[in-house]
Amino acid sequence: MSTSIYLQTMMELTLPSELGYEVVARDAVAAFACRLCIAPDRLEDLKTALCEACINAIEHGNLLRPGLRVQIRCRVEVEQLIVEVVDQGVSAFAPRSEPLTIVEKLAGLGSLRGMGLMLISQLCDEAGFVPSAGPGNCFRFAFYRHPMA
Amino acid sequence: MSDETNQREPVEKVIELRLPSKLGYERVAMDTASSLARRMGFHAERVESLKTAISEAVTNAIEHGNQQDAAVKVVVLLTARDDELIVYVADQGRKPLDQDCTTPTPKIEDALERDDKGGWGIWLIRELMDEVEFTTAPSGGNQVRMVIHLEQ
Repeated sequence: MSTSIYLQTMMELTLPSELGYEVVARDAVAAFACRLCIAPDRLEDLKTALCEACINAIEHGNLLRPGLRVQIRCRVEVEQLIVEVVDQGVSAFAPRSEPLTIVEKLAGLGSLRGMGLMLISQLCDEAGFVPSAGPGNCFRFAFYRHPMA
Repeated sequence: MSDETNQREPVEKVIELRLPSKLGYERVAMDTASSLARRMGFHAERVESLKTAISEAVTNAIEHGNQQDAAVKVVVLLTARDDELIVYVADQGRKPLDQDCTTPTPKIEDALERDDKGGWGIWLIRELMDEVEFTTAPSGGNQVRMVIHLEQ
């Protein structure tokens, strides 16, 4: 499939960097994904992953600063739906080298928060930070459209 | 500080959506606007009116303004204010909108006699929204501005 066809099925959404707007993003991306061959349970995974990624962008990448924006790009390819969540890079993403497990968190060894990236990685087929054209952090995750049984 | 500067500026929250010009993607605009309107506190009935109006406006942009060329985008701007939601829907103007078509008063009897039962979109938008204005988009395309007031 040519690049031009990829571009035809691309959606972009920008919204205020404010907690609560991740719900608007969730509903927009869910409506977009509904048009693809993604199973209902996978759609729920997509919605959860998107909310987590947006909250990370708002809280960490943009440090909850008012007036900033979060951009979401959705691109349909033959085999997958790719979603990118881009913040304005007030704070560069710096992952822990050895994130605590849920068991360790429950044992009180760290904050009960901070499980978003782990959750996303469990729900998506691919996920991770990728180089961004601008100063912001760009988090990309993908859902295969026809996962192998 | 003067009285004028004491007057609170309306707080605006802007959401921008860029969609492929492909029929069906109007659903994305509908659900996005619906989600925002619910967050703002609009009653369910008004949310349904908003969804219908946006659906008609985006469908017009896809079908007429962009001639269903999926490579060009329909741009939807949603501006949430304390007391209203402003919606802009803009296309690339492949087919300019005839201004005579922006104030229609269709008759059901005429429509029943036609094979094509369409042509009710702009009339519906005007019935459902509180303010409607057809202008030219910054891109040079057609643009409709719709406002729905939030009744507390």
